[in-house]
Amino acid sequence: MTRLRLMPLLLVALCAAAFGFAGTAAATPATATNALNAPTNDECFKCHGSADVKGETIDVKGVQKTIYVDRAIYEQSRHGKLACTSCHLGFTSGPHDAEQTQNWLATAKIGACRECHADVFEMYRGSFHGNLVFGESSGEAPVCADCHEAHNIMPPESQEFRAQIDTLCANCHADALETYLDSYHGKAFYLGEIQTAVCTDCHGGHRILAPSDPNSSVNEANLIQTCGECHPGANDNFVQFMVHVNPKSPSSSFLVWTFYMAYVLLIAVVFTFGFVHSGLYIYRGFKDGLYKRNHH
Amino acid sequence: MASTSETITEQPTTEVVRPKKQVRTRIEYRRFNVFHRWMHFLVFCSFTVLVFTGMPLKYKDTAWAQWFMDLFGGVTAAGVYHRIAAIVTVFYWTAEMLVMVIMVLKARGKLKSRIPLFFNGKDLQDVIGMFAWFFGRGPKPQFDRYTYWEKFDYLSLVAGTVIIGMTGFMMWFPLEFTKVLPGYWLNVALVIHSNEALLAMGVIFIFVHFFSAHLKPESFPLDKVIFTGSLPVDHYKAERPLEYARRVREGTLDEVLIERRITWKTYAADVVWWTITLIAGVSALMMTAFIIWSVFD
Ligand code: HEC
Ligand code: HEC
Ligand code: HEC
Ligand code: HEC
Ligand code: HEC
Ligand code: HEC
Ligand code: HEC
Ligand code: HEM
Repeated sequence: MTRLRLMPLLLVALCAAAFGFAGTAAATPATATNALNAPTNDECFKCHGSADVKGETIDVKGVQKTIYVDRAIYEQSRHGKLACTSCHLGFTSGPHDAEQTQNWLATAKIGACRECHADVFEMYRGSFHGNLVFGESSGEAPVCADCHEAHNIMPPESQEFRAQIDTLCANCHADALETYLDSYHGKAFYLGEIQTAVCTDCHGGHRILAPSDPNSSVNEANLIQTCGECHPGANDNFVQFMVHVNPKSPSSSFLVWTFYMAYVLLIAVVFTFGFVHSGLYIYRGFKDGLYKRNHH
Repeated sequence: MASTSETITEQPTTEVVRPKKQVRTRIEYRRFNVFHRWMHFLVFCSFTVLVFTGMPLKYKDTAWAQWFMDLFGGVTAAGVYHRIAAIVTVFYWTAEMLVMVIMVLKARGKLKSRIPLFFNGKDLQDVIGMFAWFFGRGPKPQFDRYTYWEKFDYLSLVAGTVIIGMTGFMMWFPLEFTKVLPGYWLNVALVIHSNEALLAMGVIFIFVHFFSAHLKPESFPLDKVIFTGSLPVDHYKAERPLEYARRVREGTLDEVLIERRITWKTYAADVVWWTITLIAGVSALMMTAFIIWSVFD
């Protein structure tokens, strides 16, 4: 069902991608200079695009990953016309020397992106996650390629990209994910309604900041605008709705917890009484032979 | 008591055969009129839709939740059905309240004796009496028109509908609602709506229908009276002796006795009632099982 609905959107996305190539051409000169003597993608695909290397894996930060790159997927992505070496700087065709294979990851995941997406990079750098990456803290935070699949860059407004946004944050923000999924937006998203609010609609992708930061999209002062994108007419009262609230924890919201517990208790009492009453009634009915006597 | 049973035995036989026309008729006791039965039909339809479009949201993690949502054509579509059924709910609730108000106005002062759905002192005695009977410590209490559990079902549904309806409309119109109160009441509304729905579903599916209409000895295996409206007099007499006696005493028995023609249509209708019950029963059982399963999963 979902797949059928996605088809037209996919087509639109593909067309958009095709038109985007015009833009790619404009952006390539930067790479073109060092690309003069750089190997072409064909050369890289000779090894990395061949089905033979599918089984060959390398260790990337403790995870085994195949060195196979699917050419069809790569070429229909937003980066389809980009040289491999625009992210894998210094790689040559043929067996790679240690210099190439040692410190390539950070470059590929964020360093290279910076060259072409300077505006986004600046925004990201100023964000909470960016601070973690570039600041003193050694906290593990997502960089560009954690959210944008390295070889399958999708237009961010595409349905495919939207549908997996919650998984981007899931590993590191399990609590926030759970409370989000317990709210109406999250329930609807979980059950396939991806037009509803997802994490990055409220928090942004690159300008994620702590709620206490006055520049944060989820700061009290900015919520009217953030929610207002989809709820025109949102006012001060409306934005006091709590997106991340755990009814089972009194420290999350005492008010909500009180109502939750009251209902748990009420349900327990009513259901227990009901079961005992019905059970005893049936038992006595059998004992007194009432079931045999009835005329229905 | 003794005089009551005397009056009962004086009644004419309930089954009359008319040889001339060859149409079998039966004197029946009319328990529910057309209004009652239409009411029940509306409650039945809207409640089922509300439960089936609402519960998948509450239990979103389960496989059946996704299955139902796909069946309805997505969360948004299910939300539309939920809202249509909600409007039906508002309609029947209002109609019922109007009728009740008229009844109360007509009864003027004699509320307790005239409005059989209100709790009164006897209900408390009946609860105690029933538990005594369950444990073999006394006779089964005799009931008037409605037993205490029927009153409880009715009144909790009437009150529950107000609660669930109000919280539902809050979530339906969050922007309008927050013109009045701060948004965190919407979080409260969801908790109330969601749990009140579970409570209502439990009471209606399990205790009213599985128990009252099918499992308890007087009804087993199926009490069709809410569909047919009437039931054989002697059966009614056994089930609600006090109401019967009261009517005899007050001379109002004739108002509720009808002559029912027993034709092939009667049996055809029976098949329909059984089919409806079976389908509704199986789906209700399914939903109950799903929920119990996901709670303990
Ligand atoms: C002769 C076949 C061959 C060609 C041509 C080739 N590679 Fe590789 N590449 C490999 C093999 C084998 C590995 C894995 C073993 C290793 O680490 O050397 C690898 C590994 C890699 C890695 C992962 C680095 C790591 O940690 O091991 C990257 C990135 C990479 N290649 C990029 C490229 C690019 C970009 C090109 C085109 C300029 C290219 N390769 C051309 C064979 C090739
Ligand atoms: C937009 C930048 C970008 C481009 C263009 C790019 N890559 Fe990568 N590549 C990455 C990133 C980021 C990673 C690390 C992914 C990860 O986390 O494992 C990577 C990883 C790899 C690996 C190691 C296996 C892996 O999945 O980690 C190989 C091999 C590789 N790329 C080959 C290529 C080839 C061949 C091309 C050209 C067809 C190419 N790349 C184009 C960014 C890019
Ligand atoms: C936490 C996940 C996340 C990280 C990290 C991230 N992005 Fe994004 N990116 C998104 C999302 C979500 C969108 C969709 C639009 C939005 O919400 O801003 C997006 C959109 C984009 C876009 C297209 C729209 C635009 O704003 O121009 C580009 C280009 C982009 N990202 C590049 C990058 C680069 C470069 C980095 C690293 C500096 C990066 N992203 C890091 C999640 C992320
Ligand atoms: C050589 C320059 C270059 C590099 C390096 C590069 N990109 Fe891009 N990127 C482009 C171009 C050109 C486009 C085409 C879309 C456009 O016109 O903005 C694009 C598009 C995108 C889009 C889709 C934007 C949209 O609106 O559809 C995302 C997301 C993106 N890049 C992320 C990244 C990430 C993440 C990295 C690093 C891993 C990266 N890019 C590295 C040039 C580059
Ligand atoms: C690789 C792990 C990782 C991923 C993936 C990640 N984050 Fe974070 N994020 C962090 C860390 C670490 C912090 C800082 C520690 C903290 O205070 O919780 C943080 C902080 C934040 C904060 C500020 C929290 C605060 O306490 O004030 C927000 C908001 C946030 N992330 C949102 C997101 C969203 C939205 C996504 C998905 C698009 C996401 N994060 C994905 C690791 C991650
Ligand atoms: C409808 C808008 C909305 C959506 C969707 C949303 N958030 Fe939030 N988020 C907020 C607001 C508003 C706050 C600040 C108030 C609060 O803490 O509840 C916040 C706070 C946070 C925080 C900081 C919590 C803290 O205790 O300081 C994190 C982390 C976070 N969100 C992560 C996520 C992740 C991950 C998702 C997706 C799974 C997500 N959010 C989806 C609006 C949203
Ligand atoms: C990307 C769009 C989007 C954003 C951003 C968004 N919402 Fe929503 N929201 C929706 C949609 C879609 C619905 C469902 C509307 C419906 O079916 O009635 C919804 C429903 C709601 C509801 C009603 C359901 C309920 O559980 O009571 C509330 C309240 C709500 N949103 C609050 C917020 C708040 C507060 C914010 C900002 C922190 C926000 N939303 C941001 C799209 C969004
Ligand atoms: C009478 C008026 C009612 C209204 C206006 C109403 C409205 C709503 C609304 C707006 C939602 C939010 C989800 C959505 O948009 O689809 C919802 C959820 C829900 N409704 Fe109703 N509803 C009503 C009655 C009922 C009844 C009678 C039941 C079941 C007995 C019910 C069961 C549910 C459930 C289970 C949810 C999901 C709650 C959750 O996410 O945990 N609703 N309702």
